[in-house]
Amino acid sequence: MKTAGTRSLRLGVAGPVGTGKSSLIAMICREMAAELSIGVITNDIYTDEDARFLRSAGVLDPARIRAVETGACPHTAIRDDVTANLLAVEDLEADFAPLDVVLVESGGDNLTATFSPALVDAQIFVLDVAGGGDVARKGGPGIGRADLLVVNKTDLGPYVGVDVPAMIADGMAARDGRPVLGVSRLDRASIDGLTDWVRAVLASFRSGAHVAVDPGPMAPHLHSDSDDSGGTEYVHSHSDDDGGGHPHAHLAHGHEEQAHEHARPAPSRA
Amino acid sequence: MMPAPSGELMLMLLADARLPTGAHTQSAGLEPAIRAGLPTASVPGYIRARLRSVTTVEAGAAVVARSRTLAGGTDLVAELAAVDQAWRARTISPAMRETAALLGRGYTRLLSRMWPQSPAVAALTALRGTSRAVALGVAAALVGLTAAQLVRLIGYEEAQTVAAAALKLQPLDPMDATGWVIQVQPEIERMARGLSNITDVVAIPAIGAPLIEQWAEIHATTTQRLFRA
Repeated sequence: MKTAGTRSLRLGVAGPVGTGKSSLIAMICREMAAELSIGVITNDIYTDEDARFLRSAGVLDPARIRAVETGACPHTAIRDDVTANLLAVEDLEADFAPLDVVLVESGGDNLTATFSPALVDAQIFVLDVAGGGDVARKGGPGIGRADLLVVNKTDLGPYVGVDVPAMIADGMAARDGRPVLGVSRLDRASIDGLTDWVRAVLASFRSGAHVAVDPGPMAPHLHSDSDDSGGTEYVHSHSDDDGGGHPHAHLAHGHEEQAHEHARPAPSRA
Repeated sequence: MMPAPSGELMLMLLADARLPTGAHTQSAGLEPAIRAGLPTASVPGYIRARLRSVTTVEAGAAVVARSRTLAGGTDLVAELAAVDQAWRARTISPAMRETAALLGRGYTRLLSRMWPQSPAVAALTALRGTSRAVALGVAAALVGLTAAQLVRLIGYEEAQTVAAAALKLQPLDPMDATGWVIQVQPEIERMARGLSNITDVVAIPAIGAPLIEQWAEIHATTTQRLFRA
């Protein structure tokens, strides 16, 4: 159970199957384990493959990597009913206090699977070049509104006939200025870009300025928010602007509106 | 402040699969049973076996926890702890106790968010890791369920958990699985009649199901699982 003073930054990693979520988590652990105390929760659908992969990668104490079963409902476990994941996160935080960051890996799902802000403070949505150059253009809540969009495996572009800069440009076009990062394990600058982003989000979280934003499960410009919901706005509406210059950035608002800000690294030129 | 609860509506809420307590991670022991060779045709029998054994024990403990909570004794923490211990003493498998504690935490989390001022919820929280039976007993007292409604809730939850998990695990028509739940109504009603009036921990039934408990133990060390338990 949660103990006071042990609340970590909870960082979700979502994206379709095979895009490299586990590898990205291993990369963050490998690069940052010396400076940060990290824990990992995996959500596999029918295996503890991801947890075993991460344990065998040798980048983190195996006890800090735990698997959550989702009852074949990976989408539910990170969104509609996050109980199992929250309990696992709290146990990790209690067992290894103080943790700086807990990375929560979603089960590989489709483009609509995003984390509830009740589970994570920020989230990375991962696509990969090998999955097709048109995927970033297809959009969806994770691509459009996750805190960071990673286009992974940029080194494979030439082999799969994908124009990587164009794919990254598609991602940026879908994101209203939110950051997009091309990542390759062979590209040092891209790895530095990723770790810089994690540091910036952690600093923002610790300063109290960070606000968890729900990317939402819906297509852009559908709307279910209302003024008295007190909830998190996940899609921007043009119809409820109060005329007061509500910027075309997607703001989380509880009772008071607060800009969602953190450092935005320039996309790497893969 | 939450409005005064309507027992009937709260019964529906607590029985609803959409309630966020982590129940979707559970198969009520069906996954290891099927791995051990239980044929689909025997699943209705499996439901009945659970209702007559482990579910009866759990529902009995829940009824006593509800009764203790409503009695409002001076030391509710100790009284609920005694119920929890009585349930544990009747549940041999450590894996099943662990699973029940995890589910109990899920319900406790829900109750403490909905009724943060409740002394009963404070007692539940103070116990840390108490079983689902005790957490549901407190919930029933809080939302105005009768003892019989509480037993029906637990019986229904058990049957529906198995039926829903069967659909994920085996080729099966969802209508057939729903039929199983309807068919066990007499079992659940019989359980409700037998347990509704107990108020003391010594009256909690002690009925083991060795094979179900063994399967639970095997599942706890299985690496490739669709369901937590």
